[in-house]
Parts: sequence; C-alpha cells; structure tokens
Amino acid sequence: MFKEFRSLMDINWIFFFLLLVIFWIGEINLYSAANGNFEPWAYNQLKRFLLFLPIFLFILMLQPRFIFNVTEIILITTVIGLIITLFFGYTGMGAKRWIRIGGFNLQMSEFAKIALVLFMAKYFHKLNAEKTIGLLRSILPLIISLIVFILVAIQPDLGTAVIILTLGLIAIFYAGINLIYPILSLIILGISSPFLWTLLKPYQQNRVMIFLNPDLDPLGKGYHIIQSKIAIGSGGMRGNGFLGGSQSSLDFLPEKETDFVFAIFSEQFGFTGSMVILGLFLFLFLIPIFKSFFLTQVFNKLILFVLSFKIFFEFLINISMTIGLVPVVGVALPFMSYGGSSLLSNMIICALLINIMSISEKKRMFS
Amino acid sequence: MEDNKTSKESIKILNRRSFIIIFISVFFSLFVILRLFSLQIINSKFYKKKSIENKVSVKAIPPLRGDIFDNNNNLIAGSTSSYEFVIFKNLNKKFIDELNSLNSILSLDLNLPKMINEINKKNPYVPYKISKAGWDQIVKFEKNKFLFTAIKIQESKKRYYPHKNMSQILGYTGSSSLSSELYPKGVFHIEKTFENILKGKPGKIFNEVNSQGRIIREISIQEPIKGNNLHLTINLKMQDFAQSLLPLTNKGSIVVLNCQDGSILSMNSNPTFNSQAFEDRDNLVIERILSDNSKPLINRAFSGFYPPGSVFKPIPALLGLQKNLINENTEVICKGHSTLKDRNYYCWKKGGHGRVNLKKAIKESCDVYFYELAKKTNIDELSQLATSLGLNQKYDIGLSNPQQGLVPNKKWKKAYLDQGWYLGETLITCIGQGFNLTSPLQLATLYSALINGGKYPKPRIHNDENVSYLGDAFEKKYHDLILESLNAAVLEPSGTAFKLNNLHPNFVKIGGKTGTSQVIRIKEEDREDDLYKSKEVEDRFKDHSVFVGYVPFDKPKYVASVIIENGGSGSAVAAPIAHKALNFAYNLNV
Repeated sequence: MFKEFRSLMDINWIFFFLLLVIFWIGEINLYSAANGNFEPWAYNQLKRFLLFLPIFLFILMLQPRFIFNVTEIILITTVIGLIITLFFGYTGMGAKRWIRIGGFNLQMSEFAKIALVLFMAKYFHKLNAEKTIGLLRSILPLIISLIVFILVAIQPDLGTAVIILTLGLIAIFYAGINLIYPILSLIILGISSPFLWTLLKPYQQNRVMIFLNPDLDPLGKGYHIIQSKIAIGSGGMRGNGFLGGSQSSLDFLPEKETDFVFAIFSEQFGFTGSMVILGLFLFLFLIPIFKSFFLTQVFNKLILFVLSFKIFFEFLINISMTIGLVPVVGVALPFMSYGGSSLLSNMIICALLINIMSISEKKRMFS
Repeated sequence: MEDNKTSKESIKILNRRSFIIIFISVFFSLFVILRLFSLQIINSKFYKKKSIENKVSVKAIPPLRGDIFDNNNNLIAGSTSSYEFVIFKNLNKKFIDELNSLNSILSLDLNLPKMINEINKKNPYVPYKISKAGWDQIVKFEKNKFLFTAIKIQESKKRYYPHKNMSQILGYTGSSSLSSELYPKGVFHIEKTFENILKGKPGKIFNEVNSQGRIIREISIQEPIKGNNLHLTINLKMQDFAQSLLPLTNKGSIVVLNCQDGSILSMNSNPTFNSQAFEDRDNLVIERILSDNSKPLINRAFSGFYPPGSVFKPIPALLGLQKNLINENTEVICKGHSTLKDRNYYCWKKGGHGRVNLKKAIKESCDVYFYELAKKTNIDELSQLATSLGLNQKYDIGLSNPQQGLVPNKKWKKAYLDQGWYLGETLITCIGQGFNLTSPLQLATLYSALINGGKYPKPRIHNDENVSYLGDAFEKKYHDLILESLNAAVLEPSGTAFKLNNLHPNFVKIGGKTGTSQVIRIKEEDREDDLYKSKEVEDRFKDHSVFVGYVPFDKPKYVASVIIENGGSGSAVAAPIAHKALNFAYNLNV
C-alpha cells in the first residue's frame, strides 16, 4: 500500500517548496487582511495546514497502484457524500454545501473534483486507446461528470459545478477525444446561447448584467466588484506596502479573507506582486505537466495534467473574478483563500502530484 | 492493474492535447495580465482617487459669525450657545428605552413612534436631534445621567440679539433650504447686506471612515475662521431713547442723522418686532409677526414713503432764488387761497397770512406764497434740484429693499400715467403734496443737504465706510436765507413750531420745519365747515404729522426727521418728538 520510506527523499523538492512559498504568502496575506493580526484567519489556517499535514504525507506515501485500485470506491463515496449533503447538509449563505464530519464542516464538492479526475484517469488508462477516442467511449465519463455537476449545481453552487464539468471535459479532451466533438459542441453552444439566456431565471440574468456593468447596482451586487477593482487599481505599480491597504483595513472590501484575498494582496503589493503570484502559480502548473511528458502511463499523465490544471484554472478564475473579467461565482484562490475544505483538497491534490511525479517509469512502478 | 504498453501515437496525442490546453491557459493568463496592467498601471490614479474618496469623509465646521457693535462698542448682535438633546443609536442597542425615559423624566411630549422610525433610517454614526434643551431640562438630565448612554447634550451656536430695538436695522439670519448651505446666513437687512463680512470661513475635519461611515481617526483639521466684526454708526442709547418717543398708538418713525459726516445715529419704526424670535425658531411669534396687518417688519424710517408736506418748501424756495423768480424781498398777499384757472388752491390758514415774503412764507408755512411761486416754476427743474438735494434717490446703506421714492416731473408722468403735466400739479407739488413720495431718511438727508449748502455727506450706517459727498453747492446767500427762515420757524413768535420753546424751555434750541401731509383731498364744502379738523374724521384719514429739525440751530450737527402716521398736524405731534430726540442727541454728542 505504501512506498518505501526512502522514496520520500526522491520527491520534487522544487514543487514542494513552491507550494510552501505560496502557502506562506497566503498566510502573510491573511495576517494583513485582519489588519496585522494572526487571529482569526492566519492562525486558523496555519492550524489547519499542520493538521492536514499527516493526510498530505499519507497520500504522498501511497503506492500509485493502490490509488488506482480504489478510484471507484473514492468516486462512489464522494457521490454518496454529495447526496447526503443535499439531504442533511449544513446550510450557509442560502445553499447546502457542507456536511459535518468529526468537528469539521466539509465541502464534499471540493473532493468530488479529485474523485472525478481519478476515475477518469483510471477509465482512460484501462481504455488503452491506440488513437483518438470516439463519442461512444466518452459517454460514461461524460455521464458521470454530468451527474456530479448536477449534484453540485442543485446545492446550489454553480461556480464549483462549472469547474467540475470543466475538469471532466478537459480530462476527456486530454484523453484524446476526436477533435470533431469538442468543436461541434462549441458551435452548438454558440448557436443556442440566446435560447439558454431565456432559460435563465431573472435573477441570474440580472447577475450577468451586473457582471457586465457593475455600476448598475453599485451598493448591491455590483458593490463587491467595484470595491475589489478599487483595491487592486489603487495598488498601482508597487502597491501601498505591507499592511498599507485602506480598502481592506477599513472594511470596504467584503469577503476579503475568502474570495477576494487577491485584492488584498494586490492592494498591498501592486502590479509587481501580482506578477510574482502569477509566476509562482504558472510554475506550479507547468512543473507537473513537464514531468508528465516523460511518463507513458495514461493514468499518471492524466492525473498530473488535469489536477495541476485544476489548481491553475481556479487561480485564473478567482483572479478574473476580482478584476471583473468573469462574474463572481465563489471560486477560492488555492492555498491563499481562508477555508478548510479548499486547503485540504488542494493539499491532497499536491500530494498526489508529488507522489506521481516521483514515479520513475524505468523502475516499472506498475509491475 | 495492468501496466499498459501505451502506443506511441496515443502518447503523442496526449502531449499534443496538453500543449493546446497550456496554450489556451497562457492566452487567458495574458488577458488577466493585460487587465491587471490596465487597472494598476494605466488607471491607477483613478482608482487611487476612488480609494481616497472611499475612506476620507470631510465634515464642515460652521464658523462663528462676526459680532455687530454700535458706535460705542456695545454688542448688538453676537453668538451664543444653545443646547439640544441628541441620540447616537450605535451607543446603546436599547436606545428606545432611553428615549422613553427621557420623554417621561423631562415630560417632553415627544412623538416617539415617528421619531424611532426616523432614527432607524438614519446612519447610526450621525447624531439625531431629539429636542431643544433648556437649563431646567439639562439639570434634570444630569441628575439622571446614569440612565443614558446613547443620549447626549450637544452644543450649537446661534445668533443672539441683546437689544430688541435694533431688530429693524439688524434683520436676522435664517437657514437656507438649499442642502449646500450648511449653516444659517443673513436673510434680512444688515445681516444680509454684510453677509460677506460677517460670515467667516468654515473649517473642515478630514476623517478616515470605514465602510459603515464610522470615524476611525481624525486625519487633519482646518479650524474655522470667525467672521469679521461689524461696527455701525447707530448709537444704542439714541436708538432706545428714540424708540421710547414713538407713540404706540400710531405707526411712525424717526431718524437721527449726523449731518457733518452722514452717520445715522438711530432709525426707529413703530410697530417693531424682535429678531430673536427668528433665531429661536419661535414659530408662534414668527407667524404673528408675518401675519400682522401693521407690518412690523417694515422699517418705516427707511421703507415708509409719504408725501412730505410743508417740509418740502425750502426746495421750491431755493429754486426760485436760483432762477431769479423771487428774491429775499418779493412779497405776496395771502388771502387764504390762490386761484388758477377758476380753481381755488387753499392755504392751511383760513384767513390768510397777509403780506408774506420768503422768510415769513417758510416760518409760517404759507401755502399761497408757494402757489404763486409755483406758477412760475418749471417742474422738471424742481425735480432735478430735489434730486440733487437728496430726495428721489435710493440710499443703499445696508437695509434690505432700498426704494427711490418720487419727486415728479413731466417725463415720469408721461411714462407712468401717460398724461401731460398740468400747472395745477406744480402748485401742489411745491407744497409737498401730490405725487411726492419721500421717506423719513430722505427728508433727514434733504435737511442735511440744506444745512451743508448743497454738498452733503452720503448717509451711512456702516462705520467703516468712508464719508463721501453728494449734491452740488449752492450760493451762500441763499443758504443763509433758508437756514435763517428755518430757524425762525422754531425760534420766532408766530413760527409754526414756536410752541416748542414753551413746551421745553430748557432744551437746546433747534431749527426745523413742520409738515402736515394730507392723506385725502379735502372737499370744498368740508373746508367751509371746518369738518376736516374735527375728531369725527376717521383715524386712518387723518393727516400724517411730519417734522424735520436740526440741532444746534446756529451750528447744526444732528438732523432728526419724524413722521407719525395719521398723527394730525406737524407742530402738535411730530415736532415735540423731534425736539426731544435732538436734545438727547445733542447731549449725547457722540
């Protein structure tokens, strides 16, 4: 079940340190979000990180083969978890997103992302395709993606659901579906979008309109994005300095410790700081993918690619949210937003990435 | 678990696909970078400004209004503190309980449901005014202070007028309905005219506020600058004394003017009002003042216009002398009336004055002399001379709504009545009736002009205003003759105001001219019956009593002009009042 203890030394240290650096920047940022206090966010987040570290190490030490064997169990467990969430979930902010397990409020949808990717990896591995994949062989992954998407969407948590569906589609695309299908679906989507617009409920249409022009509702739904843009814009080239952000310290920025942490960071460290963060995440994204080029097993390649894509994708969506490029959909900034489930799932993902990156196929891991 | 031999083709596909997605991701990242560049580099200034606007709130501190003093440095308008109960609802969640206890302890009779509704709508960090706080209420409040955490006493400044008799000169201040006006400004008379001197400059507090508007800290403060003080030429003692001279039964007014420098010592009008009522927002009293038919807001010394009556006569006399229509010795026989085109123009003295020269005509106020003079007088020249002697012009001394009054001429009549001029009208104009309209201030100025020989100091009420001169000097011999005649009217027996000497023998000697301005034209038959002099005549149709005098008679310094509406003859009513006022002014000698 576990690797040899010695193999711990073979991990990709660069990736690991990159991870620590990003987490540490997140900690400093949470410290400044509380106007220079460890309490409550930075301290709690650090406590969680230390608490999750054994889980991180546990997954790091697992044999990939063991993971391969339990993907279906993981998927079924998370789907059951999602269903339980729907019926017995803990309601917050108008949605049932959390279930209570051992003193923690867990957001099952975060783990559903991992479970789905692992399932896909195993499915396409077993498919052992010679060339591109047809529609027929993509049906099962598509259906499973849609089931998870719907279970999350009706919580309702459209943001996470869209990310789950995206990950599913990316996995299918990566696995080699015939390019005709994705191109065809894009065309169909383009044509039918006016009809989809009429299917949206008025409040959803309203939300899109406000996204396109936040000034329509400057004190209501547009308030977040206006204040966030002010925070980021006022940072300028070099930022207002550590703890120098007035938008954050005077509470103009709502949800500053969760969805809008980037605005706090950017107000303090400016364009320069934003570019540094972007660079760090780009490295975090590209290192596993670079490694995946040297692997031949579909299971390994797909996990490395889609999971590292997941972190970068969430990063991009979150930043785009804060600068008004996409609507505010409630996607956390990996390792920087305050929140347990997001931190735990991203730590699990990184453990998986490090685990698989340390595979040397010369040693024939799967034998 | 099978270790697949993945085909090379398949690996190629997978790697190619990852490049496509990396490419799309990087492409999207470029969008993010561009957007960040636009926000943080290109539009950074805009957002920095927005950020400062977010966090800095500016609050104005009203400046203290300048004080107003009389010519003896007595305060006549200042600022005082007033107190009110205010509530900060953020200081106590149970603020409604506090309101209830305040209401019952001080028995305030507040409309609580309405008030609570208003408070709930307001920003919690801005105090809400509950009511005015009097001293008794403040004492009670302090005794029960342990009950209140959200309710506080707040001080604010308001205008304070210690002397009621100054109201018709000072006016009052008021709050504007414009939201841009943060504090009261002058809306009437001196307070309005000298607003720019008095108002001062508001200060500013720059506060850093959080998203709820709560003040985090004070960034900086610009202290307000108090308005400049204003010094008036008005003398408080003179003003109070003159007011006491006006009979309460009649409307009337009195002006005392220093004819050497044009400064106005007092300017009273009856009925009057109290400016303080407007500052105290005493709505009951204000309503009463505004709805009063006797119009107490009007300062009749400045804004009351009447036919001047006989006090006008020196003007046609001077014109006659200047145009050689008459000289010192020209005589007219007065038989009680003069005839023009089958119409009789009567003298006030039924039996007539007999032989009358100019001095006697002024001293005894013979109307026939002036009717005869008028027959040769050009009305336009008369109007022009009257204007240069101070009538027929606006005095913008600082009171609201200055008016011009009227000394008629042909052009005016054509323009306003679309009629030609009749000689008969010149006759009644020359005795100060007809279209003539003058204010008491104008009459005082006219006599100041006569005393000064034509070139006279412009009347003024603002002490810092330089003395400036109006009018054109006329010949000294005419000047002497006219003053001699005016002195005779008071000092010589048979002068119209000679009675004054018996009334107050130890008062300082004055010169002056009586006037009786008719309110209605007397019918011929009534004149025969002497009915018009009887008590039967309704008060509102009685003549206005006018007197303009100066003191001392030989070297005049002060001029007083008195009008008592429907008071009767000038010698009986207005002259004694003017005599007392002039005597007072002379002894005051400011």
